[in-house]
Amino acid sequence: MTATQSTGWIGVSAPRREDALLIRGRGRFIADVSPAGALHLAVLRSPFAHARINGVDTSAAESLPGVHGVITADDLEGIGAFPTVWRLPGQKECHTPALAPGKARYVGEPVAAVIADSRYIAEDALDLIEVDYEVLDHVVDVEAALAEDAPVINEHMGDNVIIEYTFPGINALGVAGDLDGAFAEADEVITGRFRIGRYSGVPLETRGLVADWDDLRQTLTLHSESQVAHLLRTELAAALGIPETSIRILTPNIGGAFGNKWDRYPEDILVSLASMRLGRPVKWIEDRRESLQATVHGRQQLQEWQLAVRSDGALLGLKGRVLSDQGAHLHSVGIGPAWVTGAAAVNQYKIANYHCDVLGVATNKTPNSTFRGFGGPEAMFGIERMVDKAARKLGIDPAEIRRMNMIGADEFPYFSPGGAVYDSGNYPTALAKALEAVEYDRLREEQAALREQGVRRGIGIGSYIHVSGFGPSAILGMLDYYTGGYEGSTVKIDPHGRATLYTGMIPMGQGTETTLAQVAADHLEIDIANVRVVWGDTDQTPYTGFGSAGSRSNVAAVAVIKAIEEIKAKAVRIGAGLLEADPEDVAYGDGRISVKGAEEMRSLTLAEVAQQAYWGHKIPEGDQPGLEATYVYDPANFTTAYGTHVAVVDVDVQTGKIDWVKYVVVDDAGTIINPLLVEGQIHGALAQGLGGAILEEFVYDEETGQLLSSSLMDYLLPSFTDLPDFEIHHLETPSPHTEGGFKGMGEAGCFPAGAVVANAVTDALSDLGIEVDETPVTPARLWGLINAAGG
Amino acid sequence: MKPAVFSYSAPESIEEALGLLAEHGSEAKVLAGGQSLVPLLNFRLARPAHIVDINGIGELSYISSNGSLRLGALTRLTAVEESGDVSSGHPIITRAVSHIGHRAIRNRGTIGGSLAHNDPAAETPALLLALDSEVTARSAGGERTLSAQELVGDRFFETSLGDDELLTEIRIPALAASSGWGFQELSRRHGDFALAGVAAVVTMDGGAISSAALGAFGGAYAARLPEAEAALVGAEAGEAAFAAAGERAAAEFPTTSDVHGSEEYRRHLIGVLTGRALAEATSNTGGENG
Repeated sequence: MTATQSTGWIGVSAPRREDALLIRGRGRFIADVSPAGALHLAVLRSPFAHARINGVDTSAAESLPGVHGVITADDLEGIGAFPTVWRLPGQKECHTPALAPGKARYVGEPVAAVIADSRYIAEDALDLIEVDYEVLDHVVDVEAALAEDAPVINEHMGDNVIIEYTFPGINALGVAGDLDGAFAEADEVITGRFRIGRYSGVPLETRGLVADWDDLRQTLTLHSESQVAHLLRTELAAALGIPETSIRILTPNIGGAFGNKWDRYPEDILVSLASMRLGRPVKWIEDRRESLQATVHGRQQLQEWQLAVRSDGALLGLKGRVLSDQGAHLHSVGIGPAWVTGAAAVNQYKIANYHCDVLGVATNKTPNSTFRGFGGPEAMFGIERMVDKAARKLGIDPAEIRRMNMIGADEFPYFSPGGAVYDSGNYPTALAKALEAVEYDRLREEQAALREQGVRRGIGIGSYIHVSGFGPSAILGMLDYYTGGYEGSTVKIDPHGRATLYTGMIPMGQGTETTLAQVAADHLEIDIANVRVVWGDTDQTPYTGFGSAGSRSNVAAVAVIKAIEEIKAKAVRIGAGLLEADPEDVAYGDGRISVKGAEEMRSLTLAEVAQQAYWGHKIPEGDQPGLEATYVYDPANFTTAYGTHVAVVDVDVQTGKIDWVKYVVVDDAGTIINPLLVEGQIHGALAQGLGGAILEEFVYDEETGQLLSSSLMDYLLPSFTDLPDFEIHHLETPSPHTEGGFKGMGEAGCFPAGAVVANAVTDALSDLGIEVDETPVTPARLWGLINAAGG
Repeated sequence: MKPAVFSYSAPESIEEALGLLAEHGSEAKVLAGGQSLVPLLNFRLARPAHIVDINGIGELSYISSNGSLRLGALTRLTAVEESGDVSSGHPIITRAVSHIGHRAIRNRGTIGGSLAHNDPAAETPALLLALDSEVTARSAGGERTLSAQELVGDRFFETSLGDDELLTEIRIPALAASSGWGFQELSRRHGDFALAGVAAVVTMDGGAISSAALGAFGGAYAARLPEAEAALVGAEAGEAAFAAAGERAAAEFPTTSDVHGSEEYRRHLIGVLTGRALAEATSNTGGENG
């Protein structure tokens, strides 16, 4: 891609402009930020799941040479904590404190912080802090937390139920279903109870912060990996009690975030405060053990479903109860993921009658919050397992029962009883394409033949929707989500005709810089090399309250398009004056401003017009000099990405080990900006989905409340050798809701993965009557099921 | 995750190292490849006052073979894995070493370090038990020879080495011409510590098994499985004998539980893997190994 190209940048696999830097090791990550004279902070964390803190003696730590200060909860007078941005009606207040005040509620909760000349000394000092813990009874199981006599984790709440939220089954048009009628009509009621394991993003680069308070200027420069720097700035100013104008947040390269770095964390306050109080730069790099204990976890739910079905396979009604294991505190998004589970659970199917109760329950564990997928994969696990159970019960092929219940291509917009509005798509075609890719009929024959030879092969299907492009701010308001869903973009054309684009989005590995540059190049009709993207500085970039998420490029891209439309219109107005033509007769095209019909003769380059715009000699009345525009795009509606995955696995019944045979993805994320990056996002999301399906799990010891998976020897991330080859196919149904037709896609790859694996393994063991209803499907867990079934 | 304070020395000869061990005694810890010790230091689970780094002692790194095999304790696992002397006479070692961690770990990790660390889920101790190996341990006061069983047998993350002793050499006897081997391991991911594993060496007399050695790992400690071995002697190689041996192996295996698997599951796995290792071993007797 060395030749210049001025049109057609949408849909091109432009190479990632980020890579030249990263591959050569020239990226600059948070650990590379080392201001002169920086001190190092280390956090003392609770070794107990639940313990009253009767006193903290820091004297020995403070007298250790090289220690500059110790912060305990007593030192936080006047310092606030971060709020929960999603505050659903009836939700009790139990947000995460900066330091455990009087009581530690999970293993790894911050209790104190030491600031010293080096991290080594700081850790030596942690050893010297004497905390008088009074160990209390703990509870790490969500059902046990609901028991009458369960220890109450947040006393002011009275019990461990943070919220009970009901989805009454009324769609966005106000139409209510008839759930009782559906169950009365049913020939069968299928039941399912699913335990979805606790896991998380576990970014290769852990969190980190460098805070630098300038006492003379009264400014705080914070180097942070937050995915939402502007919102962090707003909330940090409030917590520290300083003006927001005093804070500048700079974002270096990010080595993975996956939603985990969307949240605000106690350390954001502690590191900033330490720098302000000591007048020195303060650095904190989260180590791996801290990362596993104290960066938010995700997913964990206990779901119970009942599905009313007719003998012909029609899915009539669905009712459920979702217990979301929230951990000790609500983190930045409250029970948001579980809410999404409730909203998305009917998936691609015409199930008009629906009811779901979602309970957020406190346990003595790390807070469960933002993680790629955000409740969607959990929803897909429930419904896709239920549909498979129904198929088996009714003797209908699992592909066929899906096809016959899917929303048709002519039924959009579709108003789901979960409250969502699905914009567009062709669900049956995606399914058909996936079945064709795996040669489904042949595969079933082969499966039967292999079974004769003692090989247990299983085929698992999982369809999904991903309501992406969050979201219209007014709707977020109605959902009690206290930040906006818009995305702003400033585009400046310099006097030489090149573009600089400012975005509040924060690239965290997904290629945002490349994607947005492509959109800008395409709409300005100039070469991509002439587009620069500026991000990662709250002093320069437009405000965003939602910030970066894997599925937000579609919103940011529209902001870029809209800003460029304004620039092009102004260029036409200025150009018309220079060309002595009526603006009506002048058009923008191929990076030029030309008189229509006389493009060869009467035409100016963008650079020529830009130069004039900055000279300001001939600016039309009503226009200002210069050539730039800012557009804040608030999405008109959500977009709905969707697709179907099929997995083929072999199961060793003697050991419980799963071997991959094949994995096919068919997805539709609307218009694709960059196919290469889309494939990359699917690979990454799917690796995370399959990681949670077979390997990754935060295991807590019931007896002690300890997190047993607190190193990467016990928390098992997948590497490429643990994953199947991915075969990926696309549909492209443009979204009618967004300019450009883009849908969010960065998360969808993980959506059906858990269900697909569980369905495939269940299928492989169908003769044993085993149902795989818990993730991850570890060899030990699977062998346990096989053994219990006498296999 | 930074280690507590320690002092450090880097001797360049065995004698110098032995002097340091004699001086520091139980306060000292020997650093070889560091693939286990360094994480333990960083987690502050190990807090030795003194580190004796033996990486500069070239004379501890060698592979020599004349049927039987001699391995210097500091020989890197990658060197063992790539050695033609090892794979020609003892292909079971080549295979087993390929299961140890990942390449980057094997590039640093040493055969002696792996043995002396004696992680019950590691391949090396059980492998060397099954191969009837012996080791040399030296101290300032002299040297002694121990069998692998005497060194690691029934021990969990420790050996019978004295505080002042350094493991210097591992010796593995030649395998009989009529012998075969099998190595079976189940781990969550390739390169992980084992859920369970079995190293098997059998000697055949026609279709019958004349001797068998089974080393099992993934339990409370690396262990030979004498009941299963005894059941195999004189038996015709085949499913029935393997299944019977597997049952005994499961019964006598010193099982354990952790986050990855229960006692019952691991015991079951040892039975399955014993059968599979024996099937493999009896199918490759007579030198056609590999």
